[in-house]
Amino acid sequence: MTPTPHRIALAVSGAALALALAGCSGGGSEAPASSSATSTPASTSATSAGSATSASAAPTGGPKVSANNASEDELAQRFEQAGIPNAEKWADEVVEYRPYPADDPNFNALREELAKYNPGPGVVDQIVAVLQP
Amino acid sequence: MTHVDPATGPATEARTRRREPATILRAGALALAGIGVAATAFELASERHWNDLDQLIPWAALVVLLGAIGAVLVPRAAALTLSRVLAAIVLAASLYGIVDHTVANHDAGALDGRYSETWDDLPAAQQWWYAATKTVGPAPTLAPGVLGQGALLVLLAGVGRRNRAPSRHRS
Repeated sequence: MTPTPHRIALAVSGAALALALAGCSGGGSEAPASSSATSTPASTSATSAGSATSASAAPTGGPKVSANNASEDELAQRFEQAGIPNAEKWADEVVEYRPYPADDPNFNALREELAKYNPGPGVVDQIVAVLQP
Repeated sequence: MTHVDPATGPATEARTRRREPATILRAGALALAGIGVAATAFELASERHWNDLDQLIPWAALVVLLGAIGAVLVPRAAALTLSRVLAAIVLAASLYGIVDHTVANHDAGALDGRYSETWDDLPAAQQWWYAATKTVGPAPTLAPGVLGQGALLVLLAGVGRRNRAPSRHRS
């Protein structure tokens, strides 16, 4: 009885199928998560509702911080005050892509870099709104 | 039938050697490695891949790979050994880069608008799968593999190489 290669092929196929199902199951588990996301914190839905409005509303509570000179902790703190989710991680990214040109108050270069992370609607506007070169 | 005059000597031998399939393949492998170095340097520069110390590693690996390509061209056993050591270092750097890119994507998972609220609740396997497949994060997972490919080409180019340096001990 020598079906060994056949059994090996079946085992490998089974493993590949298991991995594929693990990847696909994320779609299923996302459904309830996304519905909970819409019901969660108003800050998230409020910021996605109108990016311009939320961006201008964010900094009224505090001054802008320097994207080029502020420490990562200072940036994270300001982002938290502005209601930006995952403030520390975003501060880390802002620090990573320094320096920023002084003549680019809209931070187009930073916007381009942060877009690679597929941020939620309005998040980049919120970040830029509390920054100055 | 062409008669080869043995008196023609080293010149004929060199021409014959250049036409051998192994020699052509060796040259081709090294040419591909060289093209890989140039293309990778262009891509790294395009990406401004120099924001921190970690991002300088592939640049250093390119320099080491160039060294490996140069060493394998020298017809000495010591140079061949050096090329293999350098290629092994580049291969290790390549593997490190793949892991580093995957980790960077994993760290960026929570920043993705689709998963910012749910990332921490996802199973670890799913998080790492998303990171490895660049479903989240900005880093192309297998891009550092091109360095490893270059290193393997250099290793292939060294297979079957003989020390063609003239020996002082020949009679």
